[in-house]
This record gives sequence, structure tokens and C-alpha cells, in this order.
Amino acid sequence: MELRKNSVRQAAEAVCNGEPTAHDLIEITLKNCSVINEGLNIFNHIAGIDAIEQAKAVDRRIENGEQLPLAGLPVVIKDDICYGVLPTGFGSSAFKDFISPHTATAVERVMDAGAIVVGKTNLDDMGMGSTTRSSPNGPTINPWVPGYTAGSAGAAAIAAGIGMFALESDSGGSLRQGASHCGVIGLRPTMGSVSRFGLNAFSSSFGQVGITAFSSENIISVLKIIAGYDPRDSATSVCTDRLDEQNSTPALKDIKIGYPVELIDYLEPSMRVIVEKTRDEYIAQGLKFENVELSLFREALQAYYVIAAAEASSNQARFDGIRFGKTGEADNLEELYHKNRSSTLGREARRRSIFGTFLLSKGNYDLYYRQALKVWSMVRQEFANAFKRCDMILLPAVKKLPASLNGDKGFLDDWSEDLFCAPVSMSGLPSLTLPAGQIEQFPVGIQLVGSPFSEELLTQVGSRVVR
Amino acid sequence: MTDLIKGVEKASRAIKIEVSTIEQETLARELDDFLQWLEPMLELNTNQAEQVLFSHGAVNVLREDCPRQSNLAELQEAAPNFAGGFYLVPPIIE
Repeated sequence: MELRKNSVRQAAEAVCNGEPTAHDLIEITLKNCSVINEGLNIFNHIAGIDAIEQAKAVDRRIENGEQLPLAGLPVVIKDDICYGVLPTGFGSSAFKDFISPHTATAVERVMDAGAIVVGKTNLDDMGMGSTTRSSPNGPTINPWVPGYTAGSAGAAAIAAGIGMFALESDSGGSLRQGASHCGVIGLRPTMGSVSRFGLNAFSSSFGQVGITAFSSENIISVLKIIAGYDPRDSATSVCTDRLDEQNSTPALKDIKIGYPVELIDYLEPSMRVIVEKTRDEYIAQGLKFENVELSLFREALQAYYVIAAAEASSNQARFDGIRFGKTGEADNLEELYHKNRSSTLGREARRRSIFGTFLLSKGNYDLYYRQALKVWSMVRQEFANAFKRCDMILLPAVKKLPASLNGDKGFLDDWSEDLFCAPVSMSGLPSLTLPAGQIEQFPVGIQLVGSPFSEELLTQVGSRVVR
Repeated sequence: MTDLIKGVEKASRAIKIEVSTIEQETLARELDDFLQWLEPMLELNTNQAEQVLFSHGAVNVLREDCPRQSNLAELQEAAPNFAGGFYLVPPIIE
């Protein structure tokens, strides 16, 4: 069964009918994982025997008459999302063999629905980045253009046809930029709709679990399974069943899409052409556009990096090598902390932790951190004003084409790549990244940003122009 | 630059990360670049803006305080050095 030719529903039904069995499907998938991984460096761990055992268990559940909406379907999980059977590395060599005592809620939910974890995917140092170039395991290679990064390994896996869907984290935009660079679909859901229990979010305010897949239909099928209240993440308490409230979709002709014309003018010409073409196709299908003002993206990106670094400096205090992880030999406790933490945090994680601590220190807190919190509120207000005039907003997903594997552009250039994604993370709004065109051989995506819990509408509108 | 080198040194000491002299200088240069990069954000007039503490405006939500089964043994197993009910660390009293 070729995964990308089937919807989640069709594939699960086929497995429930034994055509193929979960065992057969996973056996083939694992072989593909190994072969493709050699060329693309997608996985930190491939599940092997564990996935086979899971598949046998799913086949038994099917025999017992269970209806499983994700029966036997292979899922790949970013390696900062805990799964209590395979190692969870967080993008640090110190956690190469760490087995978490927890399994993330999102992972539990897809497994309860019959999905099978086939591997943990590569990521940047402590999940900090949108290229995988700072991974201790080396970068994941773009399946379309070898020599360039994939952005996210989960997106590379889906583009390579390995998994039915991927669960990935997204803080400043790694999931969305990866989807854009690999020509697949990525959803960062409304903040609060999906539990973050078991996610190692370096930034508590912005880290979120999202979905990457080959079709919008698959994205929404999986979202409905993983979304909902979780007592282990109190931030999900605002979300009850609001996703279902969106079922009464308005007619396309009644939908108005916001177009931040000044922001789009800021793009390089070839990127701008892709956004403009997407707009023109929507107009040809009868959708209306309305110019909206989003003038704070540059300052929002800067505020994002102040807040995210500050939160990273605090969140990473847990990595002391005493309660979990790897520990070394030392004569005293202070030395032990220094040794363990220095071997755990790589270059990017050290940079952000040190910057974050500096920004929170006396004399800098008000100047930088408090100012960033205020900019955050202005960004939210700007989005709220825009949504008074439209139902969703069309945005670029990336500023540039993917980074070369060998080039070192400097950290600020890397951070600047989050220009169109980080401000959306600050808004807490759902964002769907869709393939929209190609520049030379590089796929390029756009984002559709919706009002809270409007994911279903986003996928329905989004699927009208997917290439 | 001297102030930034001191700032990096203090921050790395506070978060217990070993930083060599060369790395300190590199980080101080990068911090300098970062602070300059932040200037447009600093120039923004935020007098009318309130601070935000969460992206969807949620307030702290408390769940009902009821006992749940914990997997303490599994948590302890995750520790690299654990014995007799204690996390083992080097002596902290001379």
C-alpha cells in the first residue's frame, strides 16, 4: 500500500480488512526507513522490534473487533517528544540512550487509535532551530534537493513516503518551514488545543505539538484524535470540543482572506510571485481578499527571541544530569553540575541560555524582557484587528529557500528565517503550511493563519490550491 | 565589549555552564550583535501596551486536587545514580 495515495481513513480501513495487516505494513515501512535514512539522515532511532510488536498488538485488537481510526498506520515522532519505549534524545548527545519514563499525551492518543511509532526524527540542538544543522547527528537532507537542509526531519520523512503522518514540535516555525522546504503540509494547531505533556518545549510560551502529513484531510483526521483537554497540561483546559464547532463551514464565496500587502512586498521577488499566484488562484475560485495591516513582524521576531531565550535559560535548568540523563565524575556538587550541563547543552542551546540569563538579569529585565512582553501584546492585538476584517490570513511560510548543508550563515541570519512564523506562534493562532509552488527545484509553501480552533476551515480552504 | 564579556561570564556562572575564555569572547561578540539587532524592538512605543504572559490570554487554571497513581520507581530508574531512596551526588559538606 502506497501511503501517500491513501487517506488516513482509507488506509486504516484497509488494515482493518487485513489488506495489508498492520504487521505487513510496518515490516515494509521499517525496511524503507532504513534504506531512506542512509541517504537523508532522517532518524535518530528506528523502532525495529518494538514497532513489530506494536503492529502485532494492533492486529489482535482488530481481530477482537476494535474499530481503530489509525489502525496500523506508521507515525514518526520528533525526538523532543517523549515516547517511553524508544530513546528520546532532545537533540543532545548526552541523551542518546535516554528512555523517558513518560509518553507524551499526543503519542498516547495516536497509539490508542492504532498508529504505530516507527521512528524518532532528527532535530536541532535541544530543538532550537529550523534547519537541523545544529543536531549532534548532523543535518537532515532535503529529499528534493540533496545538498540542502530539509528544515524538519518529520517533513522529510513524509515527503519520502515513510510515515502516514508525523508529530512534531513547533516553536518559532520549524514544522512549518520544514513543510515548506519539503513540499508537504504542516499544521501548527491553536495554542491550547493539543496537550504539550511529554514535549520538551525549550520555550513554554511558544512550543506546541503539530502534525505534518501529505494531505489536509489526513491532518484534520489526526488532529481530531490528538486534540482535547489533558489534565497533565492545564493550558489545554480552554479547549473542550471547539474544533467540532467549526463543522458548519461557510461557502467559499463567503470567505474573506486577509492579505498583508506591505509584508508581502518585503519578500524577495521569486518568493513574492508564489504568494501572489496563490492569491490569484483563490480569487479565480471566488474567494475574496482584503488588505490587512501586519506591520510589527520584524519587532515581533525580535521579541520572540528575547522571550524564547529567557524561557530556555529557565527551562534548561532541569538538565543537570542528576535526576535523568548522563552524569560524570566530580569531586563536588558544583563541579558535577558544570560538567553535566556543559556536556548536555550544545552550541545553540548554550548561546540561548546565556543570552536569556543575561536578558533577565538586573538592569536588563525591564529594558529587554518587559519590552518584549509588551510587544507580544501588540502583536496579538494586531492579529485581532486583522481578523475583524477577514476569516483567515495568507502569509509566506519562509523568507528564503532552504539553507545549504555546508554554509554557516551566522546565528542571526538563521534566526531571521523565522520572520513569518515566529509572530504567528506569538498570536497562538492555528497555521497551516501548504505547498504553493516551486523555485528552481525547491518546493515553497505558504501559510494560512486562522482564528482560534478554525483548523477544519483552514484545511478545507487550503486544499483548494495545494499543488 | 568588556562589560559584555563580564555579562557572559556572570550568566554562564549562574546557569552552571563551563565557558572557555575564547568561547566567552565569541559569545560576547554575538551578544553584542544580538543587542544591536534588537534595537527596532526597543524603539517601539509600548506605552499603551500591557504585558502578555500567555498567547491565548488564559489565566492560571487549577484542576481538582485529587491523588493519582504515580510511577515513582520509573522516575527513579531514569536517574543515573540512585540508591536507597536517594539521588547520589558528591558530598556537599566538607
